[in-house]
Amino acid sequence: MTAAATVSGIGRPRRFGKALPVSLWALLLLTPAFVSLASVSFYPIINGLYLSFTNTSLITQENEFSGFSNYVQLWGDAQFWNAWWHTMWFTTASTILETVIGLGMALILCEAFKGRGLVRAAMLVPWAMPTVVTSKMFGWLFDGQNGIINYILLHAGLIDQNVNWYGSPDTAMTTIIIADVWKTTPFMALLLLTGLQTVPNSLIEAARMDGAKGWTTFWYIRLPLLMPTLLIAGLFRALDAFRVFDLVYVLTGGGPADSTETLSTLSYKVLFSTLQFGYGSAVSTAMFVTEGIIALAFCLYLIRQIRRAQ
Amino acid sequence: MTDIKKGPVSGSKPAAHVTIADRRQFLIGSAGLLGAAALGLGTGLGVRRARAQSRAEISFASAAFFGKETFGDLIKAFNESQDRVLVKNIELPPPSSSTEVYQGLVQQLARRTGTPDVFSQDVIWIAGFAAAGWALPLDEYFPADKRSAYFSGTLNACTYDGKLTALPWFMDSGMFYYRKDVLEKHGGKVPENWADMATIAAAAQKAGDVDFGYLWQGKQAEVLVCDAVEIITSNNGAILATDGKSSLINQKPAVDAIQFLHDTINGTKISPQDVLSWDEEPSRQPFTSGKAMFMRNWSYVYPIAQDAKASQVVDKIGVAPLPSFPGGKSSACLGGYQLGVNANSKQREAAIELLTWLSSTETQHRIALNFGLAPTRPALFQDEKIKTEQPFMATLENVFTGATARPITPEYAKVTLALQSGISKALVSGNVQAEMDALAAQINQIVG
Repeated sequence: MTAAATVSGIGRPRRFGKALPVSLWALLLLTPAFVSLASVSFYPIINGLYLSFTNTSLITQENEFSGFSNYVQLWGDAQFWNAWWHTMWFTTASTILETVIGLGMALILCEAFKGRGLVRAAMLVPWAMPTVVTSKMFGWLFDGQNGIINYILLHAGLIDQNVNWYGSPDTAMTTIIIADVWKTTPFMALLLLTGLQTVPNSLIEAARMDGAKGWTTFWYIRLPLLMPTLLIAGLFRALDAFRVFDLVYVLTGGGPADSTETLSTLSYKVLFSTLQFGYGSAVSTAMFVTEGIIALAFCLYLIRQIRRAQ
Repeated sequence: MTDIKKGPVSGSKPAAHVTIADRRQFLIGSAGLLGAAALGLGTGLGVRRARAQSRAEISFASAAFFGKETFGDLIKAFNESQDRVLVKNIELPPPSSSTEVYQGLVQQLARRTGTPDVFSQDVIWIAGFAAAGWALPLDEYFPADKRSAYFSGTLNACTYDGKLTALPWFMDSGMFYYRKDVLEKHGGKVPENWADMATIAAAAQKAGDVDFGYLWQGKQAEVLVCDAVEIITSNNGAILATDGKSSLINQKPAVDAIQFLHDTINGTKISPQDVLSWDEEPSRQPFTSGKAMFMRNWSYVYPIAQDAKASQVVDKIGVAPLPSFPGGKSSACLGGYQLGVNANSKQREAAIELLTWLSSTETQHRIALNFGLAPTRPALFQDEKIKTEQPFMATLENVFTGATARPITPEYAKVTLALQSGISKALVSGNVQAEMDALAAQINQIVG
């Protein structure tokens, strides 16, 4: 039955296509995509924005316009700023580490060597794993009692007693950043590898003919040409890192002493545990705005780079 | 699952697969309808409607517990036991996903459509549901004489603003686990106050009999609030004043109690630093593998500890009430699930009938045997069958009797987040008084 439907479905557009002008036909074809996008993407954003100006709460059953009061409260909310700084720190640290290590991996994978295909495929495994699985795995690796990291460090004489990685504010965030770097560096490496491969080989060969060494060719030829890719990959990564939720939620739940609370976990708690939809929406809108600023900064820098290149 | 599969099949059926028999029935049906319209009274239709009306249809939503049977089986048994009420079972996620269960329930109740008519709820949601006007007050259906059959602690947790808004169903509470064999070597008597506990634990740890003296749950999570409620109450302290409008957490009894928890890690060192990142399961594992002497945990640990496949300490553990401070009394945090009726239910009488049946002595008996969940009726702890099949319940009766509820306030969700963060900060930094002052100010702002 389905097969028949598809076959007859293919025949139809041609008949209608002749009757309709092309632009109208295109519009007609785009409508379903637009409608679905609007309903799952634009509507929630606009609704979230609207809710952030109300005192909506499922528990108190209030639902009135409250102006900027949520934002005033947000401005004076120590927990929000605590989460904001943690999120910024996480984003900056993980993006820089992932870009640098990812670039190193990409440079290695760019060279021709035996088994390159296999290495490329193997490299992607951490990235392909669901984050929850990664989280659980790192939970065990850094476990204070039975974790292998403690075992190795202890036997290497680097520590003299087990470190409680997730139970101390000094180490909890660092450990989460390590887990994120492990998981997402392959993604960066892949993006940068495609960028590296667009650098014309002739340029590098010409430089080598002129006597440039590996480092010089990298610094003066590859890196400048890779800049747009680096920036775009960095932007992707930064925006993604800014939304970090699952790693934190599984590993620490925001603790200890709020030391790993991020904007995502905070807004989740406010929205779905305390059911303050108004205030929670203000938190997520603030997150949205910060992301917008990050994206803008990256874009402006990118435009400047491109202009300078021209 | 089966419903989903059935859907499209029956939906796509009519046009292509109408058999002669179907057609005949359809024709007879429409003839009947025409006849009914003509007569102004559809005989066939009328009978069918009467039959449906004879059983009041209601729905029941609950977190999915299971043991030897499921709550679905329980509802089926109720449906078969009488012919007045027909209950549809709505299964929510298991209690380990408590947040999701809560969200699922709130979304349905907030719609005010009357579905589900009856629901089960964690003790900490009761006040919020009552304040939102979602829970039907049950005082007229369960007067004082009927209530006396339940533990007073659970009844207290079921009461909001002087009204009974939930009915006790089954319970859980914090309890003190100990290693009988190790204790034998170190005095032999179960410690009844915290200082003794710390001394014995430290001695056993020093003698190398165990790796850890005392395990508890210090992760910034709901369980930390439970541990805090127990230790604070055992020092005659409280988180909220009795009127529920101000916080007492920065008073001396509470501060001393939290200080004691801090000292177990940094002073007496009877607890590993790791308790700060442990909730129930991570703290249970070292205990059942024989590495620890004392532990605070819920009743679910007992059957695991006695299961040779999962435990190194079969027959070596005992359960007792948690210790207290001098002048205070042992306190266990109240857990478990209670029943409620949707205030918007269109079938109140039927809902009450289901409620009465679910919380009855017979059903609680069945739940104790088949699910291993403790009854909320003290009388059942004397039952011979429960004593032989679930021996741990009888030993635990005195633990359940005095169980203390977490702060009863409609703002509980906000209060608990503040508590989790504030207590975690105190435990990590050791500035207990300063952190408790800040926390009290924050809680006063929420509940005041």
